[in-house]
Amino acid sequence: MSRRSDLKHRIEAMIAHFQSGGEVDPALRDVLIEDLATWQAGRIPEYGRLQRQGHWPAALPTDVFRFRRIAAHAEEDDVRVFLSSGTTSSERSVHAYGDLSLYDLAARAAAQRMLFPDVGQIRLLMLAPHEKEAPDSSLEYMLARFAEWFGAECTWAWRHGALDLDRLTAVLSRAESAGEPIALLGTSFAFVHAEDGLGQRRFKLAPGSRVMQTGGYKGRSREVDSDVLLQAISDRYGIAAPFIINEFGATELSSQLYETTLREAIRGPAGRRRLWVPPWVRATPVDPDTLQPVESDKVGILRIDDTANLDSVCCIQTADLAKRVEDGIVVLGRAPGAIPRGCSLAADQALGAR
Amino acid sequence: MTDDALTIRGRATAVLNAGRALRTASTAERAQWLAEAAEAVKRHAGQAGPKLSKATGLSVPMVDWAGRTTLDTIREDTLLALARAADAVSEPLSAPIAMLAVVLAGNVFTAPVRGIVVPLLFGVPVLVKASSKELTFPAMLRDALRRSHDNLGAALDVVAFPGGDVERETALVERAEAVSVYGSDETIAAMASRVGPRSIIPHGHGVSVAYCGAEALSDPQRSNTIANLALDICAYDQRGCLSPQLVFVEAVTERSAMDFAVCLAQEGLDPMNRTLPRGPLPASIGAEQGQWRGVAEVEGTLIRGDSYGLAIRSAQAIRWSPGYRNVTIVPVRSIDEAFDAIEPIGASLKCVGADPASISNVRARLDKRRPPRAYACSLGSMQTPAVDAPADGFPIWHELLRA
Repeated sequence: MSRRSDLKHRIEAMIAHFQSGGEVDPALRDVLIEDLATWQAGRIPEYGRLQRQGHWPAALPTDVFRFRRIAAHAEEDDVRVFLSSGTTSSERSVHAYGDLSLYDLAARAAAQRMLFPDVGQIRLLMLAPHEKEAPDSSLEYMLARFAEWFGAECTWAWRHGALDLDRLTAVLSRAESAGEPIALLGTSFAFVHAEDGLGQRRFKLAPGSRVMQTGGYKGRSREVDSDVLLQAISDRYGIAAPFIINEFGATELSSQLYETTLREAIRGPAGRRRLWVPPWVRATPVDPDTLQPVESDKVGILRIDDTANLDSVCCIQTADLAKRVEDGIVVLGRAPGAIPRGCSLAADQALGAR
Repeated sequence: MTDDALTIRGRATAVLNAGRALRTASTAERAQWLAEAAEAVKRHAGQAGPKLSKATGLSVPMVDWAGRTTLDTIREDTLLALARAADAVSEPLSAPIAMLAVVLAGNVFTAPVRGIVVPLLFGVPVLVKASSKELTFPAMLRDALRRSHDNLGAALDVVAFPGGDVERETALVERAEAVSVYGSDETIAAMASRVGPRSIIPHGHGVSVAYCGAEALSDPQRSNTIANLALDICAYDQRGCLSPQLVFVEAVTERSAMDFAVCLAQEGLDPMNRTLPRGPLPASIGAEQGQWRGVAEVEGTLIRGDSYGLAIRSAQAIRWSPGYRNVTIVPVRSIDEAFDAIEPIGASLKCVGADPASISNVRARLDKRRPPRAYACSLGSMQTPAVDAPADGFPIWHELLRA
């Protein structure tokens, strides 16, 4: 068995163990992170140049994905290339995949746990483009897989580069009349545009309906405070606040973090709103000078060690500010000077161009 | 403290009227009063250290150093020399403008010194809009001027209000003949839209660089070069537009540039962090620093210290740092190569610090640039410009005198 196959097998086994209800030993995860980092440093010269700080492997800054190809496989073996959105920089983050099976496994396991802990299949309404319209977006790829895995039926309320308000209204009205729960998934920005476009129209969606929103505003257009948007969505669709959650993802990552409130409302006990970190991922606010973990609830810059990043780099240094809250993480936003990027921007650009 | 439009108008009128009395004094008298006021601020600056440190985010030793070295430039002899220099090149019968409004930025708290002292020297009363982040130092300066002489004190006042308030910004500038604005391009553009026919003197954001010729890197000059360069990098935690972002070193090999960088770290920046410690790193800057340092390590070499980062990389791959003592060392074969590299900076280049052997060469090259905005100065003095140093390509008295 090759070293890569061995590593892949260990990652798959860890996620599968979690999916079957088992506890993942953080020590085993940490060993896996070490082994991945060692293997990746030998195959990716850019990563190999980074010096280890303290007792964890070096973390590669997300900005490097803007300037260099970060992949352990040859370009001709790419099966998919995800790009971050962003217009303030001509250089967008590029994450090339030679194999999407770990991405799929991680995305499915995390969504099953945090977004659909109570249902196998549910109606889905996407406030985002179909992956055919945005083939280089990791969010659109993930939503397309959700449609396959969790969708009782699925509608994309986004066509020809714009939010389709008629379709959105029609699908929601049908779900409302049928009294069947529905999940609305999309970028925060798309929800803001829905707010702007739907006027006085309100819905009373069936219990069990839910919202997953992702991405920030990137300083590109109308910004809405997260609490205000949460309340607006709750009022608009008749969905209780705990059933409205944020997903935290990034082009440079293969795993996603989800807010805890939906799962805790269903399975209890309820805690503070925070991001759940999948057990195959290590998320740590670190000190910007020492790059070592900050104490308790202090604000640091978020380092994410994502074992599902097999063919790129597992240890990633983001430009997001974060702090620990209970057993999770709260992301406080991106540094003002850092390059804005994310899935929301592509949606906004399309809307702005309408 | 926030002032409303009525208060701002009242102060503008009072300052404008005080200009007449100010101009009845001779230049020599005004120079004497200003020098006395600067001395007084220096004497009291120590007590304000903790307050200024909290307001500016600089360490107390850095605040003390910055206040002292800036105020040291305000002496009777330097002020009189400045007045003579202006007199020598001004048109005959030129007279001071009636009033200047000044909008300050918050990144370098001593910026008001030249911005206030020079117009007063020429008999121009000043109304200052202080940065909302830092009111202490302008107020100290105002109080010292009032104690120094009634006519001088009445010719300066300070107001504060949030930027972007059209009514109050209009009140600030409507009695002024010229408006001097420190800040971002956005701030300058916003003020430009308020000033109408008045002159605007923009002091926008910019960057500075340092140049060390081969002679400066070798004994016996090297230790002096390192000490001066470390001071330029650390002063104001590299937050000002006169802080070097790039240090060009004339090196025979990349190895020799690396050796110099190691010495700069160990013999310059480490000791400097003990005498002039860096202030706390804001979280948002920390996030930028994390990215910048990581990219520097991937694309070149990074020397990481407790409170600094030195990237060693080629001139083709320069990336601006977030400041806070994160500097790029760029090995070059010649001064021509360094000037080729800084050409794209254009008018945003403010100052080039240079070692003694290179400074005349640097100055000659800067003078050839069109427009000639940046000026040359000695290493170790990049952050302490002389009172007569040009500002953004113009004499410091630019727009203060009219024929």
